Amino acid sequence: MDLEFTPQQQAFRADVRAWVRASLPPDIGHKVRHGLRQSRDDMQRWARILGAKGWLGHAWPTEFGGPGWDAIERHLFEEECALAGAPRIVPFGPVMVAPVIMAFGSAEQQRRFLPGIASGDVWWSQGYSEPGSGSDLASVKTRAVREGDRYIVNGQKTWTTFGQHGDWIFCLVRTSTEGKPQAGISFLLIDMKSPGVTVRPIVLMDGEAEVNEVFFDDVQVPVDNLVGEENQGWTYAKYLLAHERTNIADVNRSKRELERLKRLAQQEGVWDDLRFRDQVALLEVDVVALEMMVLRVLSAQAGGRKALDVAGLLKIKGSEIQQRCAELQMLAGGAFSLPFIFEAMEAGWQGDFVGGPQYAPLAANYLNLRKTTIYGGSNEVQRNIVAQTILGV
Amino acid sequence: MNFEFSDDQEQLAQAVQRWVERGYGFERRTAIARAGGFSAEAWGEIAELGLLGLGTSEDDGGMAMGPVAAMLAMEALGRGLVLEPVAAVALVAASVLAQAPAQVRARWTPRVASGDARVVLAYQERAARYRLDHVDTRAVAAGDAWTLAGAKSLVPIGDQADAFVVSARTSGDADDANGIALFLVERSAAGVQTRGYALQDGSRAAELTLAGAPATLLVPPGPALATLQLAIDTGIAALAAEAIGVMDKLFELTVAYMNTRKQFGVAIGSFQALRHRVADMKMQLELARSMSYYATLRLAADPAVRRRAVAQAKVQLGQSARYLGQQAIQLHGGIGMTDEYIASHYFKRLTTMEMQFGDTLHHLGEVSARMLETAGVFA
Repeated sequence: MDLEFTPQQQAFRADVRAWVRASLPPDIGHKVRHGLRQSRDDMQRWARILGAKGWLGHAWPTEFGGPGWDAIERHLFEEECALAGAPRIVPFGPVMVAPVIMAFGSAEQQRRFLPGIASGDVWWSQGYSEPGSGSDLASVKTRAVREGDRYIVNGQKTWTTFGQHGDWIFCLVRTSTEGKPQAGISFLLIDMKSPGVTVRPIVLMDGEAEVNEVFFDDVQVPVDNLVGEENQGWTYAKYLLAHERTNIADVNRSKRELERLKRLAQQEGVWDDLRFRDQVALLEVDVVALEMMVLRVLSAQAGGRKALDVAGLLKIKGSEIQQRCAELQMLAGGAFSLPFIFEAMEAGWQGDFVGGPQYAPLAANYLNLRKTTIYGGSNEVQRNIVAQTILGV
Repeated sequence: MNFEFSDDQEQLAQAVQRWVERGYGFERRTAIARAGGFSAEAWGEIAELGLLGLGTSEDDGGMAMGPVAAMLAMEALGRGLVLEPVAAVALVAASVLAQAPAQVRARWTPRVASGDARVVLAYQERAARYRLDHVDTRAVAAGDAWTLAGAKSLVPIGDQADAFVVSARTSGDADDANGIALFLVERSAAGVQTRGYALQDGSRAAELTLAGAPATLLVPPGPALATLQLAIDTGIAALAAEAIGVMDKLFELTVAYMNTRKQFGVAIGSFQALRHRVADMKMQLELARSMSYYATLRLAADPAVRRRAVAQAKVQLGQSARYLGQQAIQLHGGIGMTDEYIASHYFKRLTTMEMQFGDTLHHLGEVSARMLETAGVFA
């Protein structure tokens, strides 16, 4: 047992750190570190910078242009990005659909779609949830009916994060109603500029339109855009979810936000209130314990031994920590977190914000992060999964 | 960075595990608890396994294999709810003896490692609560010799020990951080009295009264407080590991019970309200295990780094032990309340552990006072 990273890993970290700090545009880093609003352009600029370096698909195998990093190197890369204040990589392309295309797509699909994902030029969205299919994902109803060399797609997806920015969307669609619900699902790639696709933003309680409804009205999709086999989509979806979970704890960002919480508490003078500071201390213990758990998983992966089956725990604890941190940041600001001025979330906003503009994101982030225990498989679903591995069905 | 165990470490863990499973069953444990909470016979078996030399270097007659091996051994002892205070002697007292003058070391450490001498730390005072630097026991020099006067509480196997490592002050008031030294006092010496009793978990402790008892200086004022803190931190890391064993086994018992116990015609493990409780217990177990590793891997670090890590671990341990323990009893229902069934004994062990070496709130205060600008494992 050894807690320290090897000299090679430390050198790797130093290289990545130097590159990230030199390459991250300062205006973008400022927004991330202060919880301000990021535009599509901000996110895509960073994606393209990573893409040009060959690091946007940093978990990809080398045969598809990935850098060939192991689990620990990927972790160090993600940590350096997070600590520097880089925007979170929008995962739908490089982290979610790309591995599915690599594993189950045709050679033609790989040639056609992967370069645009690797470069950050093509923005992908995820078409999973529907109004009637949240945690019960296998009940999706959006229909794809084959007519000759096309599918005709009708239905609705919802909670589509950044769907308003999307060029393409990967969807779970129903191609059969026979047998178990899981058996009639297919995995379809749809051009969002196709006639019949309508995107309608959903304004959330922080005032932001981060998610969308996506409507499909007789949308024609070439059968060439079917990934793998018809009615096998559920298998691919599960494969994708396994990939989604690798960094689901998001502990690196929580470390950065905990540091921000401490600074805020000091500025506000509430740091000297032991009742408050003890709450920060409890959070710090949580963060260290979660990080140790992540390191244990990485060690098991790198050692090639039986992987620790704690993905659900990482998601649950990681999301709870994110929420608690945002909550304490808001409470540190006290009543000055309360004014709501939508424009104040823009970097460089010059208006008059009671107390100071630094307060604008505190409540907004708290409200926004209520999502973390709901998305990516709600924490209740995660508990079901954890319990199932322990107790059986 | 890796969390793999070496072959030697795995073998040690398996050897202890085998002994616990075959040699320290619930019946034997119950008999030992009823007889007072300590068995010299079991102590001899533990010595044969080599566990009493875990904190003593080979030069001093031990078989120290490092903190990770000690952690695994403690985990295995925890699974069996072993009453004999292995860590108190082999790791905590031994860590002080390792700092003692060569003559004293030569006289005591080989016998501690072989199981022939039981030495334990006596530091707790009635008015100190969890502070190490509140010391009322006085040390007076008479020529080259010292005598001690004062009282210590909750000394592990106090009336079965051969000698005590005692914190006492050579100068200053009770709350003065300066003037605290560490001494060795033999139980057979004049002016030494012990009064033994059982703790809630069935283990044995004693009150120790010193009335002009002759003492040998182990560590002089100045370094002594740091030595004492290291001994306590070593004890906390061992306690955390032992608690992982306790929780691991109690969790197993609970899961097995939920899959057998039927109500309303089905196993109670099929009810979602209870299944989520199991997921939350697993969470607390894995967080605590992570922090047990962390404390162990930071024992050799710079004292400030070590202290922070160990305090964080004790906070996690306290929270985890209370949640997992209480839920285990709840999920067992009435049978969990009984003395006859083993779950209640695991619960009592966890309850005891929370208050040993400082409780959760005490260590939260330590974490709170020691927070840095940075955060995380490598802060």
